[in-house]
Amino acid sequence: MPDLLTQSPDFYRYVSCGVLFLAALNTAEVFFLFYNKRKAGLSEKRRTELKRLASTAMITATAPEELLPKPSTDDDFSAYSEAIASVLDSFEGEIAAKAGRLVGQLGIAAYYRRLARHRTWYKRAAAIDILSSFRLPSNREFLRSALRRETSNEVKYRVIYGLSSLARDRTDILEMVAALSSLPYLTAKYTEDIFYNAIRALKDKDAAGEFGAFMREVMKDGSVPVLVKRDMLTACYDASCGEGRGILHDYYLNSPEEPEILIAALKALARIGDFSFIPAALKHPDWRVRMTALKNSDACCADLLPETRAMLRDSNYHVRLAAAMALRRSGIKGTAVLKEETASPDRFAAETAAYALTQEGR
Amino acid sequence: MSGLPLRFAVQFSQYAVFLYFLAVNSVYTMLIVLALRDIVKHAYLSTARTARRQLGGEFYYKPVSVIVPAHNEAAVIAQSVRALLNLHYPEFEVIVVNDGSDDGTLAALREEFSLKSSIKPVRLQVPHEDIQAVYRSAEYPDLIVVDKLNGGKADAINAGINVSSYPVFCSIDADSLLEPDALLKSSKLFLEDDSLIATGGIIRILNGCKVEGGAVTEIALPPGTLEAMQVLEYTRAFLSGRTGWNALNSLLIISGAFGVFRKDMVIAVGGYRRTVGEDMDLVMRLHRHCHEKGIPYRILFVPDPVCWTQAPFKLKMLLRQRNRWHRGMIDALLFNRAMILNPKYGGTSLAGVSYFVFVELFGPLIELFGYLAIPVLCFFGMLSVRSFVLLLLLAVLWGISINIGAVFLDIYNFRRYKRNSDILRLCFLGGLEFFGYRQLMLLERLKATLTFRKRDWGQQDRRAMGLF
Repeated sequence: MPDLLTQSPDFYRYVSCGVLFLAALNTAEVFFLFYNKRKAGLSEKRRTELKRLASTAMITATAPEELLPKPSTDDDFSAYSEAIASVLDSFEGEIAAKAGRLVGQLGIAAYYRRLARHRTWYKRAAAIDILSSFRLPSNREFLRSALRRETSNEVKYRVIYGLSSLARDRTDILEMVAALSSLPYLTAKYTEDIFYNAIRALKDKDAAGEFGAFMREVMKDGSVPVLVKRDMLTACYDASCGEGRGILHDYYLNSPEEPEILIAALKALARIGDFSFIPAALKHPDWRVRMTALKNSDACCADLLPETRAMLRDSNYHVRLAAAMALRRSGIKGTAVLKEETASPDRFAAETAAYALTQEGR
Repeated sequence: MSGLPLRFAVQFSQYAVFLYFLAVNSVYTMLIVLALRDIVKHAYLSTARTARRQLGGEFYYKPVSVIVPAHNEAAVIAQSVRALLNLHYPEFEVIVVNDGSDDGTLAALREEFSLKSSIKPVRLQVPHEDIQAVYRSAEYPDLIVVDKLNGGKADAINAGINVSSYPVFCSIDADSLLEPDALLKSSKLFLEDDSLIATGGIIRILNGCKVEGGAVTEIALPPGTLEAMQVLEYTRAFLSGRTGWNALNSLLIISGAFGVFRKDMVIAVGGYRRTVGEDMDLVMRLHRHCHEKGIPYRILFVPDPVCWTQAPFKLKMLLRQRNRWHRGMIDALLFNRAMILNPKYGGTSLAGVSYFVFVELFGPLIELFGYLAIPVLCFFGMLSVRSFVLLLLLAVLWGISINIGAVFLDIYNFRRYKRNSDILRLCFLGGLEFFGYRQLMLLERLKATLTFRKRDWGQQDRRAMGLF
């Protein structure tokens, strides 16, 4: 039988060692804590100063690179990159061009390209995001090659994001969509932003028509997930890409079984004043399509009041509420219908109508 | 003959207690290491996120419903709501649920925000006590006040969920203050990952800080030891504990004071359950639901969105709060006992749930046994003074090391407490905790273990914000 733990001499030897180690560790921890705090404080101060200096130099000096100290630490690069991204975001013309040139002159692009090959994925991800925030065409090839060699999906999503702002034509978008389709779907907002950025980039180059050509090209492409197509239509809606109602009509007509596409197409069409599918959409079996149609029905179709009224008894809560609100927005006739419905034996229709009447009409 | 079994029992218990001590402290140490890694990663990705935001369009957000359950919060409710209405967020609604208050909470809201009756039909998706009225502010159209019969915090949040319009909701305590960008930082994650179903930010102690216009303007440790000790506890619990569990995908608690959830998932598990530990219970049920249905999911703690909350400033209040927390934890574990050591629930069960059962639930009992064993062993000559002192030093120094580690995580990355004196004081409290405070908390947890079936919350005293 082994000794009692508390009576074993070895045990106390180990415990004593443990106590000494912990005492030393704690002392070191406290010292390191203060050392680190001081270091972090100084570094924060330097970053703030460098950022201010860089921003002022880019805006006021003709050759800012001559005024700015060469970056040497992570903090220096980070400060410069933040300042440059912010200037690129806020200015155009000569100032933006100077900011763009600084990325190369100060070795910032080279630094982040090196970091984009780091073995730790989140460091690569951060570097890619920073490079992308410059939106410099010179980074396009680097990002494309990064996408080819990258192993982490987390980083790939970021590379695609970066590439989206550098799209030049429909081939670029097709390449991006192929990469996107090979990855697990991330989120609607992410995919929408990719297309939104691409539309903006093409618009800047007066090549918005390229997006329309791309939309046609992928319409029947089964390898592109439905959700990606839907997000593409939504982005088109957000960015007012104005790409022909013909394409949106085609998407609507070609996807009768895809509520996601129908909803996105209905919204995009409504934005450009085309309500031709609203009556049919009010009868769609998917409640989300019916609700989207209702949200736009008042803007176009005064003759749809009976259909809208019937939808106060729809099987879905959201549709019933949307129907009441559509009636409320439909002017005097709609309001009269709602007033009648407040006496309806259908309790929900009555309550919804009463609620809609308390809301602002058009 | 009679000495042998006794010796064996002593021997066995010594080994068991010592191994337990080693295991528990090793887990805490491992959590600190994991947390450090996670926090560094998060810092990189936050920078990346900022860079991407510069790149992104203005549509980069999801609308959020902020639900504030309020029971007898007349002293603080108006300030809290005003602070919430000032959040930096493109589209959100604030839903205050007056849970049968009898101290004039509703009157305070009416007076401050010009409430008008609203008759929007409420869809009953999760159960709660009857709603008596719903109001909307005439000044702030995004402020909704729900007046309902008292049913407890869980019940109030359920009512808020039913009234809410947006796909993501944030639940926040009425005595808490969100930093203006907290909602932006936490809800942004829902845009980046469809599998994210819940997330929570860090809760920090408001006591000691200066509050102006519903925002924290100066951060300092509270002067009282009791409150300052809670700062240390919260720092440890959130930055090393939750961040560490995060790294193991085993996060079981998102604080009730500030959590952001995907509404459809919360509805799918039937909403909040009426219990005193509704926050932990909900997260455990979300884990269960997703595992059982094979839904890919993530539940994340993020350390940079900050929610400031009032900590109890009297010992009696603190003990009552800890008692409730412990009862809540026991109830959540019992209700979700299917998750205990069940490989069907993967790492969540084997790491997270096991930790709560073997450390948080049984820990107080084993610690008490350790304290009781000391005089017995001394009496029988099995423990010398030298040995006792050495063991005590080992335990205290290890504990201090874990506490300073947590303070380090905070200072290294977030640097909230700027004064050296505050940091030094936190380190000092890291040692002081083991002499009196820890034992008091232990006794309360034991008391809670014996009375875990009690369901009462007890009344919390509030101070108006700005009076810290």
